Amino acid sequence: MTILETKELKKYYGKDDTMVKALDGVDLTVEDGEFVAIVGTSGSGKSTLLHMLGGLDRPTSGTVIVDGKDIFSLKDEALTIFRRRKIGFVFQSYNLVPVLTVRENIVLPIQLDGGKVDEDYVSQVVSALGLEKKLNSLPSQLSGGQQQRVAIARALAAKPAILLADEPTGNLDSRTSQDVLSLMKVTGRKFAQTMVMITHNEEIAQLSDRIVRIEDGRIAMR
Amino acid sequence: MKVSNRQCIRHLAWKSLQASRTRNLIAIMAIALTAVLFTSLFTIALSINEGLQQSNFRQVGGFSHGGFKDLTEQQFEELKDDPLIDQWGKRRFLGMPVDVSFNKSHVEISYADANEAHWMYCDPVEGRLPKEGTREAATDTRVLELLGVEPELGAEFTVTFEVDGQETTQSFTLCGWWEYDEAIVANHILIPESRVDEILSECGVDPNASADGMTGTWNMDVMLKSGSRHIEKDLDQILADHGFQNERQGDDYIDTGVNWGYTGTRLSENVDPMAVAAIAVVALLIIFTGYLIIYNVFQISVAGDIRFYGLLKTIGTTPRQLRQIIRFQALTLSAVGIPIGLMIGWLIGGQLTPVIVKQLNGVETVTSVSPWIFVIAALFALFTVRISCRKPGRMAARVSPVEAARYTEGSSAKIHGRARKARKVSPFTMAWANLGRSRGKTAVTVLSLSLAVVLLTVTVNVVGGFDMDKYVSSFTASDFIVASAEKFQNSAADFSEDMSVPQSAIDHINAQGGITDSGLVYGQTSPMLEYISEDWFRQLNSHFYTPEQLDNLIRLTDRNEAGNLAASAQLSGMSAFALDHLTVLEGDLSALYEPDSRGIAAVYSEDDYGDADMDSHWARLGDTVTIRYVEESQYYDPDTGQVWASLDDIPNGANWVERPTKYRDVDYKVTALVIVPSALSYRYYGNDEFILNDQTFVEDTGTDSIMYYAFDTTEEANGDMETFLADYTENVDPTLDYESKATYAGEFESMRSMFLLLGGVLSFIVGLVGVLNFFNAILTGIIARRRELAVLKAVGMTGRQLRAMLMWEGLLYALGAAGLALILALVLGPVAFRAVEGLFWFFTYRLNLTPFLLVVPLFALLGAGIPILTSRVSEKYTVVERLRME
Repeated sequence: MTILETKELKKYYGKDDTMVKALDGVDLTVEDGEFVAIVGTSGSGKSTLLHMLGGLDRPTSGTVIVDGKDIFSLKDEALTIFRRRKIGFVFQSYNLVPVLTVRENIVLPIQLDGGKVDEDYVSQVVSALGLEKKLNSLPSQLSGGQQQRVAIARALAAKPAILLADEPTGNLDSRTSQDVLSLMKVTGRKFAQTMVMITHNEEIAQLSDRIVRIEDGRIAMR
Repeated sequence: MKVSNRQCIRHLAWKSLQASRTRNLIAIMAIALTAVLFTSLFTIALSINEGLQQSNFRQVGGFSHGGFKDLTEQQFEELKDDPLIDQWGKRRFLGMPVDVSFNKSHVEISYADANEAHWMYCDPVEGRLPKEGTREAATDTRVLELLGVEPELGAEFTVTFEVDGQETTQSFTLCGWWEYDEAIVANHILIPESRVDEILSECGVDPNASADGMTGTWNMDVMLKSGSRHIEKDLDQILADHGFQNERQGDDYIDTGVNWGYTGTRLSENVDPMAVAAIAVVALLIIFTGYLIIYNVFQISVAGDIRFYGLLKTIGTTPRQLRQIIRFQALTLSAVGIPIGLMIGWLIGGQLTPVIVKQLNGVETVTSVSPWIFVIAALFALFTVRISCRKPGRMAARVSPVEAARYTEGSSAKIHGRARKARKVSPFTMAWANLGRSRGKTAVTVLSLSLAVVLLTVTVNVVGGFDMDKYVSSFTASDFIVASAEKFQNSAADFSEDMSVPQSAIDHINAQGGITDSGLVYGQTSPMLEYISEDWFRQLNSHFYTPEQLDNLIRLTDRNEAGNLAASAQLSGMSAFALDHLTVLEGDLSALYEPDSRGIAAVYSEDDYGDADMDSHWARLGDTVTIRYVEESQYYDPDTGQVWASLDDIPNGANWVERPTKYRDVDYKVTALVIVPSALSYRYYGNDEFILNDQTFVEDTGTDSIMYYAFDTTEEANGDMETFLADYTENVDPTLDYESKATYAGEFESMRSMFLLLGGVLSFIVGLVGVLNFFNAILTGIIARRRELAVLKAVGMTGRQLRAMLMWEGLLYALGAAGLALILALVLGPVAFRAVEGLFWFFTYRLNLTPFLLVVPLFALLGAGIPILTSRVSEKYTVVERLRME
């Protein structure tokens, strides 16, 4: 079953002479449960693609369909709500709320939605990521790897349709990167989570089920 | 979609609030300042207003909203239950004492019910109001003094007074008294209604049909349900509802009075759109200042938190939730800031003001501390907070999550125009560039700062603008004016021979020495007529009669050969000194300075604001005025032609016309149109008024009754003269009285010091708000840009350079604010002046830039000083630590 699909996705910045075609007609499909890595060099448009997939930014033209829904047909408010229900994010810079504890950070998207926290599920995620002892710490008291694991837990806790990861290991050393990634992969399997990851690191990309290469805003032929 | 996420939003908002303590402190301060501004402003403005009202009420003699005059008992009963009336008070005038000791005081004997007595400030401090069916009376200490009665309950006293023209002597038992208040013009002796009726029947006066139309009648003063907003309209409405009116004489005519002491009524009646607009502008300015203070702080702090909001957005916080977070924070901060502000505002407005005002003698202390002030100030502040956080809320809501992560303030603004030439980078050029980076923010900061300076300048100027000369000169023309006590006391009484100032008194005064210049005003005591066109006759009398009555009046008025109608003329003769005090509208007075000249000046009237009413007289320059000095008259019936030699011969009910039989006609040429200062005028009007040279007057009229003796004295002699006159008019010749510039100057001073004080407190608050706001703006700016500054440090800017840059920014703000304030003060000063002039005619605008010059260096100092101080504090942390903050 196709969970994510883009059609003729384009994103242009600027005008005329200075126009930059960050995405120039991308067609991509991701199946349910798949772990896809999108690789490309700096400036290839891979981050832009991920922002489009997650509904963080609107495309110049084209559609993104998540779980059967054309997400850009939604208004801002509705899009945000759709996003927090269907899409989990993991950022290179973790993006944890500094004033909240680890636990509060993890359940924040669920609470923002007014939903009831599935305690069982959350504690499973927490233990899978090895965060049991850190639940009452503040993000600033954690190491980079730990912070990223919190971010992953937060993304998973809301049981999203897709988890989008933007260079999740970009800020981590190679050893920690490996740890975090294997955890991601394991938990992904465990919770049957569709994942799309962006990276410029071929080695890391190898861990995925499928690699999509992007060059100059287009998907490169394999 | 309804989701119960309030809890979570609050939690988030609360947590992030806790994380930025300094900012909170600043925001709370800003909110508190706004609340202080509003509270003290309202308190002081209302106190001034109430102080004014109170002194007006005391001049009027009461504080009821208005009343219906000279009613019959039946009319009274009919009107009193009108639904528009909240409370009514009954008063029935009986008479005024005739003893010599009373001729410098205005004392009225009457009945007043409890409401009315209270509204007339007749609240016994000792004893109580008189009881029905007794011989009791209550009065004030001044009247008791005049009667020579000790203030003792149960004391017996007798008063001789006139009841509708008949003298009677009655005795009373004192049952209560109150303190004499010299600001209140009329003193009262209150007696029971039963006694009023008793005395009336004793004197044979029917209260429903007294000869003077006033003795014994029922007067009803009222408090209206709708308050003082539209008194006149309500009174008219009440009359209309019962089939009466107050415009034309007639059977259904009832006279009404509006208490002009209510400034509100005065404003709404005399709507000068300019003044109203100006008040609105000033009020808006104040609100806007408050708005900017808070808005500025929120705007800056939201800009500082923009990454945080972007982050929240990426994990699914909706724009609405973000707005909720900001609103929650704003409300939380308000919950702390507003009570603090109200407290301080209360301390300043409610506590400090009366304390200061008390230090001054003779100033009426009225502090208005209605709880409404606090409610309104709080709502106002809250409202300001709400609208202030709307735009920052939108800004946070609109921020793109992707942008937010990389957000630095102002970077989203496109830089227009061609690429700049590379310049030498110095702290100054960087500061300049920083200000230009977000022009909106710079503009708002500069504007909010300059508004405070403008408010300060305008307040000081307005307070400083009360013009004593303008005030005093409207009441008195020369240093001293001596006249008969009756002339001063009872301005409605026609001037007569026995009110003349005796030559002996003038000689005594002159013997005192120190008089620099003096002059006489002769008043007319013999009949004199002018013949005027029917049109003008109608215009003159239209205020007093119905058209039908007027037709009848014209029928019963003598006509001359040319068919013009006879009308009394009002002449006075003035010597040079008095002529010097006239305002010449057209022509010149030189002819009047020459004895025996037949030049005449026509007197026009003016309003309080000094605008002449050119329709108030018929005579124009070059016209010839013929005055007919009447020596003998006869009377005839226009229908039958029957003639009577004297008024006494005319049978009751007959129609008659008066016709001069022996007279002299003298022609005069109008050489000037003038306005007479009210102090030297007859102080009543109704007839065409003319002025002659004093010699000419004496010669032509054959009378020489001195109405006023006016003179100036040297500075040194002023005090002695005052003492002399006080003693002379008290002991030597009690029928005389005097007015002096000093009396009015003192009155003015006490009023001005009230305004100066309250205005001073107000200015101080506004100035303080301005300075603190500046402090806030600079500090918030630095805190919000901590990270950016750390980056600059990281790329090699030295602490000194950084400080220099921030210092320049502060100075540029101060400079910009100063420049803008100067322009605004110059523009808005005259506007505010219009507003104040609309309320107080004794006001002259003088631009005074002292407050401006005082505040600007302070701003410069703060602008330069705060960056230095704060950057020293932040230098405790390393660059790396600072980069990682947030």
